[in-house]
Parts: sequence; structure tokens; C-alpha cells
Amino acid sequence: MSVVEVAVGWVPLAAVLLLAVAAAAAALDGALAARAAGRPWTAGLPVPWLETARLLRQRRRSTVAADRPLAATGRIGLLIAALLMVVVVPLGPWTLADLSVGIVWFNAMDVLVWAFVWLAGWGPNSVHALVGGYRFLAQALSYELPLMFALTAPAVAAGSLRLGDVVAEQQGLWFVVWMPVAFAVFCAGVAAFSVWGPFAAAAGPELAGGVLAESSGMDRWLVLAGRWALLAAGSAFAATAFLGGGHGPLLPAWLWTLVKTAAVLALLVLLRRRLPTVRPERLVTPAWLVVLPLVLLQLLVVSVVVVGRG
Amino acid sequence: MGLTSALAAAATRRVAVLVVETPGWGRARCAVEREVRRRGWRAALCPADADVLAVCGRPGERMAAAVDLVWAQLPGPRARIHLLDPNDVAPALDDAAAELADDGRQRADAEERPHDPLMGRPAVDEDGHEDAAAGEDDEDDEDDEDDDHLGGNGDHGDMGHADMGHGDMGHGDMDMPMPGGIPLAGGGEDRDGLALDVLHVPLGPVMPHWPAGLLLHCTLSGDVVQEARVEVLGALEPAPPAADLVHGSPADRCDRAATLLALSGWEDAATGAARLRDALLTDADPADCRPVLDRLARRVSRSRSLRWSLRDLPEVRNHVLVLLASAAASIDGVPAPVSATPLTDLPARLAGRDLAAVRLLVAAAGLDVAAAARTGAVVA
Repeated sequence: MSVVEVAVGWVPLAAVLLLAVAAAAAALDGALAARAAGRPWTAGLPVPWLETARLLRQRRRSTVAADRPLAATGRIGLLIAALLMVVVVPLGPWTLADLSVGIVWFNAMDVLVWAFVWLAGWGPNSVHALVGGYRFLAQALSYELPLMFALTAPAVAAGSLRLGDVVAEQQGLWFVVWMPVAFAVFCAGVAAFSVWGPFAAAAGPELAGGVLAESSGMDRWLVLAGRWALLAAGSAFAATAFLGGGHGPLLPAWLWTLVKTAAVLALLVLLRRRLPTVRPERLVTPAWLVVLPLVLLQLLVVSVVVVGRG
Repeated sequence: MGLTSALAAAATRRVAVLVVETPGWGRARCAVEREVRRRGWRAALCPADADVLAVCGRPGERMAAAVDLVWAQLPGPRARIHLLDPNDVAPALDDAAAELADDGRQRADAEERPHDPLMGRPAVDEDGHEDAAAGEDDEDDEDDEDDDHLGGNGDHGDMGHADMGHGDMGHGDMDMPMPGGIPLAGGGEDRDGLALDVLHVPLGPVMPHWPAGLLLHCTLSGDVVQEARVEVLGALEPAPPAADLVHGSPADRCDRAATLLALSGWEDAATGAARLRDALLTDADPADCRPVLDRLARRVSRSRSLRWSLRDLPEVRNHVLVLLASAAASIDGVPAPVSATPLTDLPARLAGRDLAAVRLLVAAAGLDVAAAARTGAVVA
């Protein structure tokens, strides 16, 4: 299956689609939370809409001696990074930009998140927000290298950094089958750069909301929506790079991409309810001493297979 | 107009409530949390996140000042309710929702408010607090200035988060640069011997998952608490109701477990513990709660990720398990020991820990702040 670039006019539709997928994930999370609270799960489904309505009505607030431009940059940045990520992710046969360095582009966007989360923490001139920002950097030092090497595995297998080639190479056999470690590490990395679930220490209750502690109204909505959008964009990338993208029987290719993205997202959301937050200082040792060697080993296996295949 | 009212209707279906507990009114706080959960609303983590400020009990003078500062930090639309009796919670929350949805009233409220964030109040020493610190060295006196700001600087007050640059120097040093009117932080050696900026940050007395009325004056280097001083801000006379959430009762143990699980970021388990607490507080037969309690205890003790995440704070995980086990034992009528760290021992436990660890350690200390507030045992 070859991937073709579509006209720039489709960009708004891609953005709407990303937000819709993110909202669906948030709705599933709301349903699970409602069930845990002893209410019917359907009562939790509209949570993303109600929260959006609430934040649309809420006033923005500021703090004394806040660095407003930097705070605004950080808050809006998460959503922008997520939108820029999906630019290179093909939806079935279509893509917005079939960059020859698509994988590196995605990686560059996830590194931008470092700056955005930290700026969102620095901007308000508040202890809890700033500590949250620094905690994210500590976490980023743990997840970034394993994530980068996990991203390398599909590129080596396809012999290309172009996502179209990565999808084409998975005709018949999805990469997840022979690179499960890279897939698992990549999914964990997605949760980590989304400041979400077990990796939400930078915005956790132990810091009174951390990087979110001083934002309200649309400022807050941008950060919350940005986190869900990053999670959705990461899942779409996982579906493309490891789960064969648009490949699949019966259904049209674009629908397969959506189904696989939704499956990865749902798995992350379900898993999250079973796990407490990981304290960032606990993450460094296993990330560098266990996960990183495992991913490198995975990369070695992939490389040997590619060389052996000739 | 149709759109505005539709938006207001949707927004008030999921209201974020910041609950303030005055020492001695734990039952009222539990009743609010229960009703909030029943309605599908949610608890707010900080003033910026809150629509409703629910004040449980009659706060004393300094506590009330802190509550006022928090109130000033709610972004709006906002509503404030006072609760003394757990039975009044549902109608009070109805009123709050109606007030939030009333656009005209909210607009009027917004017009009355100052546009810029508040700077907090200057130091005052008419509450006897300065006496408590009398005879101590200079550094502590400077601390006291911070207390009286109560999380000062208006930008965050209460939660005490903030006070950035609220440094190590007195207010007299006017020749130093003061961005936004806040003196720059002074320097000091941290636990690792590095020269870092030193901030004085009060934690509490208004903060979710935090003991009611506890005010912890922290000296921070980065996010590490170098030293801490404890105070309790009590309730107004007459004394709080005697039949409150009794320290060591099964419901109290479940409440403390819920706090610790929430601070560990395990939302579902925390909700489970809070539901048990609410079931134990109603008239239902406590024996009915046993199977659910046992299931929760098993789930928590089996969680490898909780054990791993808290490995460097083993007392925190142990405390959760002990709380759940002793709650079960006391339902069965087996007397379980009531563990409580004296408030005076708290600072030594916290020195050298980071802010997030401090939150967990304070919650795991099993403090009986209500008793300290009753006996007036305010410690320095």
C-alpha cells in the first residue's frame, strides 16, 4: 500500500479528528471513573464535554510577577506538539506530509514537550507549578532515551525514516510481532510524554496539581486537551509504526488506522486505572539499567534479522 | 442567550469543589465528599481548579483569614458555602450550583473583584502567634513574617504554594530588587552542600488531602524541605461537635487510607476507600463493609507498582496496609492500637525530603490535629 500526500486544505479535518479521538479517550476514562465511584458508567461519558463547558465559562487568572508569555507558550504548546505529530502519521492511504524524516520529526515534537511542560511550570511563579515542571524533566531524563531507541526499531526494519515506507514494510507481518519490547516501551513513552496516568507526577495531587496548579479557564483546557491529544497522537503513531497502520482485511485502510489507534488508547486508559503514579525519582534506575538495555537488545535482534534477510 | 444558558447548564453538571475542613468538622467534610461523588461532581486540587469553596465548621481567626485568601483565588464563576451539619450538605450544594449558573450574579461578583492578583496582607502579631516564637533566633522571626502572609502574595495564599522569591530576608531590605513586590530569595546550603536559593513556603492550612488546620512552615532549597515548623490553626469557640470523625474509628482509618491512596495517584483505590468510609459513617451494619474492605486491602497489598513506587518511603505503604487491616479488626470488635505521631516529632521526619514525599509522610504520620486544636497544643 502506498501513501499519498493530500492537499493542505485537509489540515483542519485532521485537527478535528485528533481532538475527537482524544475526547473519546477522555470519555472512556470518565466512564471508568464513574463506575469506580459507584455510578452508572454512562454517567461518566460526557465528562470531557462538561469539563470543556466549565472551563469555557471560567475566568483566566494570573499570579503575582508571573511570566505570562512563557506560561502561555507552555500551555498552548502541548496541543500544538500533538497536532504537529499527526502531520506525519498516515490515515490509511492519506497523509498530510510524507516527510522523508517522519520518525525523526515525531521524535523532535516529543522532545519539544520537555520545554512546554517546564515552561507551563515556570510561568506562574509558583512553588508547586515549578516543582511540577522540574519533576517532569526528571521523568523525561528516564523515558526519552528508551523511547528514542524504541522508535529506531521500525526505522531499521523498514530501512527508512519515512512513515509511508514503514507501513508498506508491514505488509503481511506487523512489526509488533517481532519487536514487542520496542512496542511496549514506546507505549509507556507515549504515556510519559503526555504527563498522564502513572507518569502524571508533574501534575499530581501530591503537588496540588503541579504544573496545572495555577491555571484556570482556557489556560487549563489547553493543557488538559493537550495531554489527551498527545496521548491520542502517540497512539496513532504506535498503530502506524508497530501495528501495520492501514493494513487489515475487509475494512477500508483509513478505518483500520482508526481502529488500531483506538485499541492502543483504550488499552492505555484501562491500564491506568490499575496503577498508582510512579514517583519520578524511582523511575531513573529501572529506565537506564533495565529498559534501555532491553530496547538496545531488541534493536540488535531487529538489525540482525534485517542483515540476515539481505 | 440560548447558548450562554446551555453552556451554564452543562458547566454546572460537573462542579469542582474545594473542601476546607476546620479541625473538628471531619464528618461534614466527608459528607461533602460523598455528595460530590454521588452527583458526579469532583474535588478540586487547588483554588485555580475550583468553582465552589465549601467551608466545613467555624474556622478561627487566622484560619478564616486563610480561607478568605483562598476565596480570592477562585477564578470565578464561584460560590462559597458554609457547613456545620452533615445533613445540610445536599441543599447547600444545590444553592451553590444555582449561584454558579446565575450569569448576572457572577458578572456582578467579577466586577467587584480587583483585577490584579492580591499580594496578601502585611505581618500582624495580634493573634498571640508571635509570642510562641518569642525568644527564638532571627531566622524564625523571618519565618513568622511569612506565616502572617499565610501563603502570602495573594497569588496562591492558602495552599501556600507560591511565595516564590519570598526569600530569606526581612522586608526592610528595600535596596534589593523586588520583582512584583516580592523580595528575591536569599541563598543557603542545601542537604548536599550546594548553595541554593532558600524559600519559605507555608504548606496548608487549606489544601486537599492535608490534615485540617495544619500549617507547616517549610524552608525549601529547590524542592527539598530543609526544615519545617508546625502550627495548628484551630476553630472558633464554641468547641466543635464532640461526635465527630473519631480518631481511630474504622471510618477514620478508611479516610486516612483514602488520603494516602489519593496522594499516591491511585484514584480508583482511593475512591474505594472513601466509599467504605462513607458506608461506615452511615447507619448501615459495619459488618456489611467487611468483604469490600478485605478486597480493597488485598488489592492494595498485591499492587507491585505501589510497592515499587514507594520503596524509598516504605512507611507510607505500610501505613496504608495497617490502616486497612486495623479498620477491619475494629469492625470485628478487636481493639486496634491508634497510632499517632506527636506534632512535635513531625519536623524531624520531614527534614531533607522533597515536597511530594513530605505530602505522603505527613499523611502517613497519623496526626490527630483535631485533638491538638482542642487542647490548644500549638507547637513551634
